[in-house]
Amino acid sequence: MSKYTFSFVKVLLLLSGLIQISLLRAETPVIKIEIQNHLFFPSEITVPVNTKIKLMIHNLDATSEEFESYELNREKVIMGNQKVIIFIGPLPTGEYPFFGEFYPKTAQGLIIVK
Amino acid sequence: MLLNSVIIILREVLEASLLISVLLVFSKQLNLSYRWIVWALVIGFSGAFFYAANISSVSGWFDGVGQELTNALLQQGIFILLLFIIILVVLQFRRKNANTHILTIMMGLIVSLAIIREGSEIFIYLTNFTQAKDLFLIVISGAVIGAGIGCSIGIIVYYLLCNIASRWSLNVGSVLLILIAAGMVSQASLLLIQADWLPSQLPLWDSSDFISEQSVIGQLLYAVIGYEATPTPIQAGLYCGALTLLISLFLLTGKITPKEDNPS
Repeated sequence: MSKYTFSFVKVLLLLSGLIQISLLRAETPVIKIEIQNHLFFPSEITVPVNTKIKLMIHNLDATSEEFESYELNREKVIMGNQKVIIFIGPLPTGEYPFFGEFYPKTAQGLIIVK
Repeated sequence: MLLNSVIIILREVLEASLLISVLLVFSKQLNLSYRWIVWALVIGFSGAFFYAANISSVSGWFDGVGQELTNALLQQGIFILLLFIIILVVLQFRRKNANTHILTIMMGLIVSLAIIREGSEIFIYLTNFTQAKDLFLIVISGAVIGAGIGCSIGIIVYYLLCNIASRWSLNVGSVLLILIAAGMVSQASLLLIQADWLPSQLPLWDSSDFISEQSVIGQLLYAVIGYEATPTPIQAGLYCGALTLLISLFLLTGKITPKEDNPS
């Protein structure tokens, strides 16, 4: 009985190891963007093709902003001094402009997929 | 800043305005009381204010995707309520004796949910400028113009629908509601993809060269049919599924309900 229990534990350990490896491999790349004085930093980002990306946007301004992109089909309100995450992709190669809807004159950016 | 403010407010107002005008047309033709619009506006605007005031904490829910999930939930709520409204309106048009109380409550709820969603963004945007006195006046003027255009389009649709024969206005109004409802499903699925709750996929097609989402036509189509230039297969599938469900329910309800003979 104890032999079976032992091999059962071994199998469990092996399985959990496999799951951990697959989780690590599936980890989504994170790209950080900051908003300051209604500008995006960096304003140009290059990401790999056909890959899901996690954008972490930190608004350092006191005012709120809305991250918006028609090409990426994304929109999300970011309050002042707040951090938000937005998932984008997988995307085909190309250029995907994004902007801050509340201050579009200055808040402009571009995601290049290649 | 003025033009930007006009566009932002117009975009938010347009959808709610179309929805309200179609529901008001149905209320008029079914001889329902208009009272629901009053409490719907009150609940909607208070809800929008409350949502806007708490958006920071809402955003933090569910590992930072609370905003997407809340908005998707509001849109799904509107979709489900519209589904019932369409059935009830068809029933009511066919035999005039059904209970109208539930119908008006649903109409009010839909408008409340729509205003909570769209209105909260307007509140968030406008609060940015409360400190900047000179800018505030410009932004508020823009907001008034944008809201004015949005409401005017709603009023035009209202009178257009009222002035076509009652037989047609049921069909035209229902088609508009069906399209808006399916658009809600499409928008909600987009938010769930953004939150990574639905799998992200490569877009099915790209029609942005044909009709850009930024263009006036693109914006109008977005408000009416939930137009997307680059939908993913899941989004397009859910949209078509919702559309099929709504159309079949609309046709089926009309078919199985015997038309009551009018003594006149």
